Amino acid sequence: MSEETKNTEVKPQDQEANEERALSVFASEKNEDLTALGMVMIVTFLVLLFTKWLA
Amino acid sequence: MANSNVGRPDNTPVWIISGILLIYGALVASGALTGLLTTFKVHKAIDLMQTMSFMGGGLGVVVALLRQSRMGKPMTNFDTFFLETVPGVLFIIALAMGIRWFAEPLMKMMSAGLVPVLGFKIHKVLNLNYVVLGILVGIIITNSWGIPKFAASGVKTARFVLKMGVILLGARYSFAELAKLGMVSVWMIGFFVLGTVFFTLFLGKIFKQPKSMTGVLSAGMGVCGVSATVACAPVVKAKSSEMAYTIGTILGFGILCMFAFPTIGKIAGMNATQFGAWAGTGILNSAQVAAACLAFNAVDIKTLKVGEIFNITRVLFLPVIVLVLATWFGKASGQKLTFKEVVVDKFPIFIIGFLILFFMSSMGLFSPPDHYKGKYLDFSYNERTEVTPEELVTLEDAFKAGIPGLHADEKSAFADLVKQHQIAGNFEDRTNDAVFKETARERMRGLESMLARQKGGELTLSKDVKSAVKHAVKQVHKKSKTVVTLTDAMIWFFAYGLIGLGMQITRKSLAQAGGWPLVMGGIAGVTKATLSFIVVMYFVKDVVLH
Repeated sequence: MSEETKNTEVKPQDQEANEERALSVFASEKNEDLTALGMVMIVTFLVLLFTKWLA
Repeated sequence: MANSNVGRPDNTPVWIISGILLIYGALVASGALTGLLTTFKVHKAIDLMQTMSFMGGGLGVVVALLRQSRMGKPMTNFDTFFLETVPGVLFIIALAMGIRWFAEPLMKMMSAGLVPVLGFKIHKVLNLNYVVLGILVGIIITNSWGIPKFAASGVKTARFVLKMGVILLGARYSFAELAKLGMVSVWMIGFFVLGTVFFTLFLGKIFKQPKSMTGVLSAGMGVCGVSATVACAPVVKAKSSEMAYTIGTILGFGILCMFAFPTIGKIAGMNATQFGAWAGTGILNSAQVAAACLAFNAVDIKTLKVGEIFNITRVLFLPVIVLVLATWFGKASGQKLTFKEVVVDKFPIFIIGFLILFFMSSMGLFSPPDHYKGKYLDFSYNERTEVTPEELVTLEDAFKAGIPGLHADEKSAFADLVKQHQIAGNFEDRTNDAVFKETARERMRGLESMLARQKGGELTLSKDVKSAVKHAVKQVHKKSKTVVTLTDAMIWFFAYGLIGLGMQITRKSLAQAGGWPLVMGGIAGVTKATLSFIVVMYFVKDVVLH
């Protein structure tokens, strides 16, 4: 029980980070950025495919 | 049974939104709305409307069915990251569609209707485009009904989508833009961008504002308004309300500048180039720069061109600013950071994405490398670049009769248009690309100057001649379909992201920031405008563009 009580203590810093994190569906900033980059690359490829290479 | 949904919000809204999207798609496909859409001048987007409505609606139905079948079962990752997120995503997409295709055009029409009363287009002055409308709609929803439960998870995707928009922003610019500016201009822009950033950070310290607020405001005031704010916000961990404040400050300050700049410029006796350079440095929003330049001088095309290019070039300083802010934020938070930690670990990956797209664009992957927002000039000999035979007759007649009041460059440009049937360089230079293009550009400037002076009442051209010259200029302006499509995608990402952003702004959070951001923004903006005014008056004489 005492273990658990110890773990429930939340430092203000962590709290802040958690609040910030809560505004995103991603697990970390890096994940969010990489996913965004990946998606944009896909969009760019599709746009190039339809407007340039196949047009 | 009370807890049978295990935290899942009701499925009904998902059905309703999917239904609305599908019905809208069907109405557009049937042609029932074509009249209305033509009135709103959005009929060109009919294909996109159908695609988005049917895909969104279809996805909504699938998700609604899956959620129905999983009600009462424990949540898995698939539920958290997909099934619970999609409803909110669809909700924001539906709102974005409403703004892009109804609210924004309606605003334009209403403001056009008010021109006889007010004498100007109010949506342009207040900058009521999808950016502002998106944030406003988000704020209104949150502060009146609150974010609907089913949409809560989807709203959290806003920042992610905004990042996609910033990455795509890179596709619109190229190195060629920097090359067009002289070294003096690049130094000047760099100095003012960095100077404003540091000055705002300094003001933040004096007024004891939160680091996140100061950081995001400095980026917005220094670089280029909305996009810079969005790009730098994650770096300094800015809250949505702080971003909204920054965007509000920038646009508000820009409105004041739009009226003050032309008047001051005229009183100080600035020439066309000087004013363009000053407006491009001092005013933050590109639409407002254009408006101020046109208000100062609608006759000399140089003003607008210089103003725009100064304004656009600032965006290229974005990665530098991100680096500066990352270092500053790390230091201000009490961390000791080595150079490697700042550049390698703290540099946001999405800004690297922006650079990747910028690099691809500079390499000419999306359009010829010297494009400007996807527009480029094509002077090659080509039937599609020529004026029509009827127009040629009109031009020949006008040339024989002579047009009084033409400047020498306009005269020679006009003579060559009659000779070559299109805007081009000298035929004998056609193998020397650089010379050929430069001559052609000069001729195009000559013709554009004719049109501008005609508009300003300095020159009299018959209606047919005017339309023929206009057509000749239009013919060499080509647009890269790739960049146009990518830009469209970017606008959608921004619209989506800003609605989501607006939904995270509560009255309480705005009240917390108080009026200080406005004060700081005002001081930084006025200082920059004053200093750049002095610099422009003393150092920018005439030629800033190659």
